[in-house]
Amino acid sequence: MHDQARLKGAARLLAPAVLALSLAPAAAAEPVKLVKPEQYRSRVVAPKKGRVLLVNFWATWCDPCREEMPALVSAAKGFPSRDVAVVLVSTDTPKTASAVPRFLSQLRVPFVCWQAKSRDPQPFIDSVDRSWDGSLPYTLVYDRKGEIVAKLAGRQTEASFSEALTKALGGPR
Amino acid sequence: MRIRLVSASLALGLALGAPAAGDALKAGAVAPGFTLPAAGDGKPVALKELLAANKAVAVIFVATKCPVSNAYNGRMAAIAKEYAGKGVAVVGINSNATEPAAEVADHAKKHGLDFQILKDPGNKVADAWGATKTPEVFLLDPKGVVLYHGRIDESQDDPKDVRSPDFRNALDAILAGKPVPKAETKAFGCTIKRA
Repeated sequence: MHDQARLKGAARLLAPAVLALSLAPAAAAEPVKLVKPEQYRSRVVAPKKGRVLLVNFWATWCDPCREEMPALVSAAKGFPSRDVAVVLVSTDTPKTASAVPRFLSQLRVPFVCWQAKSRDPQPFIDSVDRSWDGSLPYTLVYDRKGEIVAKLAGRQTEASFSEALTKALGGPR
Repeated sequence: MRIRLVSASLALGLALGAPAAGDALKAGAVAPGFTLPAAGDGKPVALKELLAANKAVAVIFVATKCPVSNAYNGRMAAIAKEYAGKGVAVVGINSNATEPAAEVADHAKKHGLDFQILKDPGNKVADAWGATKTPEVFLLDPKGVVLYHGRIDESQDDPKDVRSPDFRNALDAILAGKPVPKAETKAFGCTIKRA
């Protein structure tokens, strides 16, 4: 009885907060986390094994990167999260990195975003993909085992993102 | 999917070592020749003539609107000026379909880029060389062999923070008759806006 009363009391206290959250705009992107070159596979790729993973490399100063972001958001909506994960990696240097959270928030980008941390960009580029020359935007698609199955260079469209994800999943369902 | 086609007209007797689609010229490859119009006055500039007149030729793919390329404007201008007196010609190539010649010329004037910048209509040279971004450096010996390919240095934000001046190191090595310490380097850059 005492527990039930406490639960009811807690519910009464929480109800307004729950109501406020349900009426609030879509949640902003999660806080940006740092990733060093040697951590890329273990922190960005490995945890998503079991799902197809799309990793998009971008920067706030990169116009085509910013332009393709809405297309990526739209494409991702077409796949259940139990099958597909999308992660961003910002390659902004310290000079522009502070703009990353604001940009993601303004565009309502729902993906986790990592921040590449590497004084020299080359080790980071090579840790991701030795065949990558560092041009942005760049997107990798990994299969469920964590192996790269697609490399998309340059600005993509919703269709090209969707096509790459569909192929990685094994074709249209 | 982006498909790059190598134009046969760019062979010009330097066909050996032409890159496969998608691959940039690596150190050791022979760069296909070109004749491109200068952005300022439209006069043709031939790689063959630059090679014949210099100890080395540095070709840098540049852009007017790329923040990374622009971050290196001062450094490119300084290197071009400093090494001109040592027998090195620096020439820029703008392959961006979105940046017309007049804009390229104005940008060069505004930012003190006192070296020739050529327009690459239809990004044919960028395709033939496998250039993908700006800025991107190809340093050639008098025979057109690539001795260095990659970045200017590792510090996009601030020239004072540079610890790895790879382009300068390559230039100094070549002028001293020594092997280039790091013939291939990488950095982030803006993709070339192809037609």
